[in-house]
Amino acid sequence: MDRKEILKKITEIIRDVFDDDKIDISEETVAADVEGWDSLTHITLIGTIEDEFNIKFAMKDVVNMKNVGEMIDLIIKQTD
Amino acid sequence: MLFSSLTFLFFFLPMTIIVYYTETRRIIRNMFLLFASVLFYAWGDIRYLPILFSTVFISYIGAIFIERSNHKQSTAAVFILLDLSMLFYFKYAGFFLENIGLLFHREWSLKLVLPLGISFYTFQALSYLIDVCRGGVKAQHNFFNLSLYICFFPQLIAGPIVKYHDIADQIDDRKETTDAFYYGFRRFIIGLAKKVLIANASGEIADKIFALPIAEFDAPIAWLGAMAYTFQIYYDFSGYSDMAIGLGALFGFRIPENFNYPYISKSISEFWRRWHISLGTWFKEYLFYPVSVSLMNSRAYRLIKKHFGKKTAGVFLSIVALTIVWGATGLWHGAAWTFIVWGLYNGFFILFELLTGWGKTKKSKLLSAIQHLYAVFVFVISFVIFRSESCNHALHYIQNMFGLIKEHTVYLKLPYYLNHYNILIFTLAFLFSFPIFKDILNVKNKYYQTIINIFIMIAFSLSVFELTANTFNPFIYFRF
Repeated sequence: MDRKEILKKITEIIRDVFDDDKIDISEETVAADVEGWDSLTHITLIGTIEDEFNIKFAMKDVVNMKNVGEMIDLIIKQTD
Repeated sequence: MLFSSLTFLFFFLPMTIIVYYTETRRIIRNMFLLFASVLFYAWGDIRYLPILFSTVFISYIGAIFIERSNHKQSTAAVFILLDLSMLFYFKYAGFFLENIGLLFHREWSLKLVLPLGISFYTFQALSYLIDVCRGGVKAQHNFFNLSLYICFFPQLIAGPIVKYHDIADQIDDRKETTDAFYYGFRRFIIGLAKKVLIANASGEIADKIFALPIAEFDAPIAWLGAMAYTFQIYYDFSGYSDMAIGLGALFGFRIPENFNYPYISKSISEFWRRWHISLGTWFKEYLFYPVSVSLMNSRAYRLIKKHFGKKTAGVFLSIVALTIVWGATGLWHGAAWTFIVWGLYNGFFILFELLTGWGKTKKSKLLSAIQHLYAVFVFVISFVIFRSESCNHALHYIQNMFGLIKEHTVYLKLPYYLNHYNILIFTLAFLFSFPIFKDILNVKNKYYQTIINIFIMIAFSLSVFELTANTFNPFIYFRF
């Protein structure tokens, strides 16, 4: 999968988790840009992404992920 | 030593600044800051210095072991437990002993004096060990640098709890600029004024009312006491944080913010993103995430997800994780049932907001006002629990606020507590809870800035005057 496809899939997951079809996601999106993206939804999101891509994030990455772009980097690192 | 003491203001601080800036080499500056910090800590009570040193030493050795170990997590666990065991012994052993004794109808007790700042510096040390274990940062091989991270006097005894990964780079590489110095100087004075002029005055009223027997005051006075304490705790602790951040800036450090106008919140979740931010994020990064991730990998979670769906599993995870995190947050504040109840009370409202979607941005002004009133109501009550001597006292106090205690002999009526000076202080306390003053302070206009600085100097003079005239000067967060 290339970055574009991953971003598309992440966007779908985020829309599903936040129950909002209008959310637009780019690589620069940070948690603060999305209404309701707090620590509890972050965990749900991490869990769903791990299941969908069949990967595991390190604790350091769960905590420090800066934006969606970084999330894509981490997914690519593990799926390659 | 208190920041708001004449000794600190006119001896310790100026001397530390002068000597610090006579030197230019980073390594010598850092060693001198460490020396000053140890002196600052020992000033109050030299007996607790060995405990602070042990924490530093365990963390220093621990991180190096973790870095070299093939079993990083188990090695980290050993040193984390060592650090925690000191905190546990001094802060919680008495409480647990007493309560276990109660189960067997025995009166067991262990009275220890709490070493100053132990909850704060232990959490900083843990942050360091966990960061090294997770691999985000390297172990600090320079013992003096690590000691400075844990012992740096601005944040040593009452925070902000600085996470190691937030400040690691600044220890060796930071810039002391005139702009930062000017900023730090102003920030310190603002913090001092918040503490001495507003928190102390509100605290005197709160102390009087909370010390009254329940039957000797009625609902209006009960509300006044609760409001006074709500103002005291905010101006006391955010004032302290302002002073700490300001002091850090004087020496070129950027200490993370600890408060962001919590009283304008529309929900308790938002409140906790604005109140004692360094503690909230500490618990988020080092307790909430690990607990949630291991819950997600647990059999119970997978079973619930399989049989009842993702939503229910999410609710299960939230309930368990929030109970653990908020129980721990309560307990961090003190070894007493009131703090545990207070923590769980906060967790309860956060869960309620999560399940109902409360507090999300709504366009309607009315709804937003209702949300705000709800939040104020919930946190004012929470501070009554926090302030009370016992759960029983808290319960009666809250009943009293709602007129549920009928038998009263009120000797001192409301006007006794509300003289002109107190009304002025409450008005200021209310106004300064809003972020508008931050914008006023930062307005880019030399003429206005001069006027603002005159006001800041007046606030400083009044604070010093108040400190010489009045002996009432407690710091709430020194107890933790």
